[in-house]
Amino acid sequence: MATNPMHQFKVHRIGPEIEISGVDLSFTNASLFMLISAALLALLLLLGTREKKLIPNKAQLLSEMLYNFIAKMISDTAGKKAKPYFPFIFSLFIFILFCNMVGMLPYSFTVTSHIIVTLTFAIFIFIGVTILGFIMHGFKYLKIFVPSGVPIVLLPIISIIEIISYLSRPISLSVRLFANMMAGHTMLKVFGGFVISLGLIGGWLPLTFSVALTGLEILVAFLQAYVFAILTCIYLNDALNLHH
Amino acid sequence: MKNFFIFLIFSTSIGGNLGAAEAGMPQLDPKYWASQAFWLIIIFSSIYILMAKIFIPKIKDNLDARENKIRKDLEEAKTFKEEAEKKLKTYQDLIENAKLESKKILSDNRQRLNEDIQTKKVKMQKEIEKEIIAAENEVKKFKSESGKKIINISEDIVSYLLKDIFGEDGNQSSIKATVSEVLKRETEK
Repeated sequence: MATNPMHQFKVHRIGPEIEISGVDLSFTNASLFMLISAALLALLLLLGTREKKLIPNKAQLLSEMLYNFIAKMISDTAGKKAKPYFPFIFSLFIFILFCNMVGMLPYSFTVTSHIIVTLTFAIFIFIGVTILGFIMHGFKYLKIFVPSGVPIVLLPIISIIEIISYLSRPISLSVRLFANMMAGHTMLKVFGGFVISLGLIGGWLPLTFSVALTGLEILVAFLQAYVFAILTCIYLNDALNLHH
Repeated sequence: MKNFFIFLIFSTSIGGNLGAAEAGMPQLDPKYWASQAFWLIIIFSSIYILMAKIFIPKIKDNLDARENKIRKDLEEAKTFKEEAEKKLKTYQDLIENAKLESKKILSDNRQRLNEDIQTKKVKMQKEIEKEIIAAENEVKKFKSESGKKIINISEDIVSYLLKDIFGEDGNQSSIKATVSEVLKRETEK
């Protein structure tokens, strides 16, 4: 059981079964690790904003760096109009980042390695951005499917491609994060299994790999959170500043 | 992406060993999808509210406060610098003025001294000239007086000699004439 690399992704119920109108909404280990990630990031920000120091301490510096990092990312990709959505992007980035990082701890559960979690985010972003686009520009928002400067003959084909690419946004966004997380953790587990099965004599090579992979996975954890947030910014930019 | 392909190859190769119920990925088992989505929405919403209402305003306030403080400090530093420059300028002006004044005092004094020396020189010269004239006059006077005295003495000597040789007083007027004649001849010689 322990050697099955997919076992780490199994969801099981913790505590009583909660069922609302026939839907199972029980508290699971996934919910627990969501809660742990949320609690950790709330703790960091609590420590970071507890004191208002002119020269910040470590927690304050970290939270201010996070703030500046996200603020710069939003202003670079989506401009000034995206300012009201700063709290959302900020929450999104640090929540995914913390879920990914908590997932890196041994015996923990990676919330973002589940397609349903990333898909919930992606669909919410997709629907939100689409509604926002129609609110900001009315039916002119459909211009997003008609790039300017394209010959009339090619226009139908291009439009169809644009529509498909637009509709596939939630899928690409969610699968990217989920697949990266799942693949990375599976690899780690597989190499970890090799260390055990090859034992003291042959286990050193997979152990080396495992250490290197852990470093890589920490990088991927950060990078994927960043990519998720920046793509959200780009979609937001399309909705706010219509130009093609 | 590369990782993903490696995983796919790997998972298909070991897929046969897994039980049918747990086959493939637990992610695709819809049993807890609703639960995961439900808890995600609850937890993420609460995080969003926490961020938007508490933490982000706090961080922003702090950053703004720091920026304001830095700006204020910079402004203060600028005013101080300007003030210092002003002070430096007044100080330089002061020194310049003092230099000019001292130069003026120096040249004034020199001029006054020169004038003083000049007037004193002139005065001295006048005095010296006066003294010289007085001395010359005295010499002249003495000269003329001495001539008379010589004549008197000569006359006395002549009359005395006459008396001593001839035993009688000579004629005074003739003696006088003779003496003057002899003196005249002597001075002419």
